Amino acid sequence: MEYIGEHLVIGKVGNVFVILSFVFALLASVSYFFAARDNAEAPSWRNIARWSFRIHGFSVFGIVGTLFLMLYNHYFEFEYVWHHSNKEMPMRYILSCFWEGQEGSFLLWTFWHVVIGFVLQRKAKEWEAPVMSVLSLVQAFLASMLLGLFIFGEHRIGSNPFTVLLREHPDYGAIPLFQNADYIKLLDGRGLNPLLQNYWMTIHPPTLFLGFALTVVPFAYAIAGLWKRKYTEWLKPALPCTFLGVAVLGVGILMGGAWAYEALSFGGFWAWDPVENASLVPWLTLVGAAHLMLINKNKGQSLFTAFALAILTFVLILYSTFLTRSGILGETSVHAFTDLGMSGQLLIYLLFFLLLGIVLLIVNWKHMPRVQEEESIYSREFWMFVGAIILLVSSFQIMFYTSIPVWNKLFGLKMAPSKNIINFYNSWQLPFAFLVTMLVAIGQYFKFKNTAPKEFMKKISFPVIVSVLLTALFSWLLNYTNFLYILLMFSSIFAAVANFNYITHALGGKIRKAGASVAHIGFGLILLGALVSTSKKEVISRNTSGKSIENLVEKMSNNDNILLTQGDTLPMGNYYVAYTGKRFEGINVYFDVDYLTKENNTYTKEFTLSPLVQTNPRMGNVAEPDTRHFLTYDIYTHVAYAPLESVKQQQEATKDEYTAAKNVSMHKGDTIFSSNAIIIFDSLSTQFDKSKYGIGADDIAVKAHIRVLDIRKKYEATPIFVIHENSVQPIASKVDELGLQFMFWKIDPQDGKIEISVQEKKSNIKDYFVMQAMIFPYINILWIGCVVMALGTFMAIIERLRKSSSH
Amino acid sequence: MKKIHILGIVIIAVAIGAILTTLNSTSTYASFREASEAPDNEFHVVGKLDKTKEAVYDPKTDANVFSFYMIDNAGTEKKVILHKSKPQDFERSEQIVLIGKAEGDEFHASEILMKCPSKYNDGKPQASN
Repeated sequence: MEYIGEHLVIGKVGNVFVILSFVFALLASVSYFFAARDNAEAPSWRNIARWSFRIHGFSVFGIVGTLFLMLYNHYFEFEYVWHHSNKEMPMRYILSCFWEGQEGSFLLWTFWHVVIGFVLQRKAKEWEAPVMSVLSLVQAFLASMLLGLFIFGEHRIGSNPFTVLLREHPDYGAIPLFQNADYIKLLDGRGLNPLLQNYWMTIHPPTLFLGFALTVVPFAYAIAGLWKRKYTEWLKPALPCTFLGVAVLGVGILMGGAWAYEALSFGGFWAWDPVENASLVPWLTLVGAAHLMLINKNKGQSLFTAFALAILTFVLILYSTFLTRSGILGETSVHAFTDLGMSGQLLIYLLFFLLLGIVLLIVNWKHMPRVQEEESIYSREFWMFVGAIILLVSSFQIMFYTSIPVWNKLFGLKMAPSKNIINFYNSWQLPFAFLVTMLVAIGQYFKFKNTAPKEFMKKISFPVIVSVLLTALFSWLLNYTNFLYILLMFSSIFAAVANFNYITHALGGKIRKAGASVAHIGFGLILLGALVSTSKKEVISRNTSGKSIENLVEKMSNNDNILLTQGDTLPMGNYYVAYTGKRFEGINVYFDVDYLTKENNTYTKEFTLSPLVQTNPRMGNVAEPDTRHFLTYDIYTHVAYAPLESVKQQQEATKDEYTAAKNVSMHKGDTIFSSNAIIIFDSLSTQFDKSKYGIGADDIAVKAHIRVLDIRKKYEATPIFVIHENSVQPIASKVDELGLQFMFWKIDPQDGKIEISVQEKKSNIKDYFVMQAMIFPYINILWIGCVVMALGTFMAIIERLRKSSSH
Repeated sequence: MKKIHILGIVIIAVAIGAILTTLNSTSTYASFREASEAPDNEFHVVGKLDKTKEAVYDPKTDANVFSFYMIDNAGTEKKVILHKSKPQDFERSEQIVLIGKAEGDEFHASEILMKCPSKYNDGKPQASN
């Protein structure tokens, strides 16, 4: 069939770029391999290699550009474009379409490697050949993720966004739309996942992926060092990129936390979710690697561990890619991406580089230089080594628990993560955090090789005293009783104070050299902020609406939510809250809640919070929080439940529409309730003027007298039970002021019981929703710590680059 | 002993501790039947919502109680009482994981995880309006 208006050429162009990127990555790796040999042909191989990598790099840019054009022009005939975008999507989210899809996120990763590769080509000098050989090999694997080639019949390598047309996709090919040759004009995309339509999601993924990409640098240098048997010369050149990785990956992870806090409704910034853990763990090992590389550069010890950590970090990045993209996390993480069938490929990728690293380490073990004398317990190297080991063990604990689905699959177990995983992880990680922050505090006070104990004690005593005092003060202010929390509070305050003291005393206030200390202060603040805001987090939305007629008593009843009805004012925490109504803006539904304080019986409005629900008929609604930031705490609120199904009904309800009838049996004197009145069955009468109601003389008629009371007035409703020619034909009675209608359906003459129905006008039904609100005390310490840590790390990198270029 | 060896032993001890506590603190995936046989223990039960039976959520009475019927992967159906508010888009869920205990003929869940395919897989191409 001839389809009209398809833009097939651009797809073919993109596909050419994909193939080129793969082929030239492979060629670059091989040629750099030969260029790394010390023979006469090496220089010519290097030229071939350099050009191969450049062509590879430009092909990658070509892929990015082509895909961007396709997204920008809404070429929905391509399955990738259809899957991740639509016409009404704001343009600023077009970049997010790159990382919503698996193919796009691999592309992002590959892109960053190209940038890093171009930098290394210029700066790596004598290390260029072996390092680039490794990097190009990594690129070849990544490029293969986009190939979309079928081999041996059924097996597909990678997934190619340019070759899969929507109408040829196995899931969608058969639908009737494609019988129409002109289908392009009618086509619109699925659109972006509502969770990604958020500015955090335009900055967090690229930063995080750059962090991931940077871990390839220490890895490649470590491999190169082992390969060329130059065991210590790689440390210095690899340092700047390694610390840059620490900074960027750290910032990326923290951005993820900030996004979770601002945009998700689980109430916090860290959930020990597998996807979160999978990026945290490589960061921990990267920090360990970077510090060991740093001290090793000064005094050749613990070299083997430095190698091991550098290799391990990259392998953990691959493992985390495998975990999050293979679908194996399925039930344990609501973050997990779906399986695109690439898990086998990812596994091969992971195992290959793991084995490469292990084999090289084993082969070179004997040849590595050793230092004979043992490190003194009073040396900086010893404690930094201990610190790196603690980070490693901490990572092991996190990774082991996070990998439960993998153990399940390997050993046929049925382990499920505990309901309280946050408590479980915290119980392990809090002690580790304590140990690490203690080391961060005292590490710099140790000198290399050895420190006179007396001198050390003297220098450290001032920060210790200050920290103890501050800890006592804050523990008292915050009412802390948990000993472990107090310990961690002490150690994080100590880390910040001791490093600040180091800047003023040991460095003489020289800011330029203070990068590391500043970063350490930031780290201490992060842990302090995290500790306080999480341990003292308070849910303030207890259900105070008390609207129940019957009370359901349940053993595990969870009272974390408050029911807010439009027009009511309820106490919540330190405020009174009033739900004023819903607001519709585009696809978002905002629930406006006023926060009032009361003084002498007058209410003053302090502020308004509007948590929202982003409606998305195709992909499901998503609740997003609204948070009020104060200096010393945050009030975080989100929609736990909102009856949005009836939104359309409410908007369309005319003044005269009634709800479905509620039938009820009553004896004389019984009382029932409508949403706005009390209803009492007073009496029946049979003596009345039937003709007034159009009732025939032969018909049986009984009138019920119903008293209807609201706060201000008393009304009477008189529904009539009529039997006309053997059928029941009740006559309704209305109370218009209250929007109520009554009908009389049955009567039991024996015991005087009647059955009536009550209907309310739809406009009576007050709008409501269920909200959860929490207070996070002192959470600003966390965010300040993030900024300070990033700042300090960048300062240290710049200083190091400045020093090395002046030599 | 060399300091490095002491360190090594400590690390291995801690690592073993991590493994053991992991194995001890996990819950188990089970079916409704298995959960009923051990009514005091907490289990994870995986299943699907029974859309033919009614799901009751009346926040005006109690905003933290939601009941529905679920069929687990072994085919057993049970009434479930969830002690939380009704999750958004509950009807769209393709798979549900409940965390809770069996109590008599019902299952009382304190946590729920849902898998909604509509975010990633679902949705046939449609003509734009």
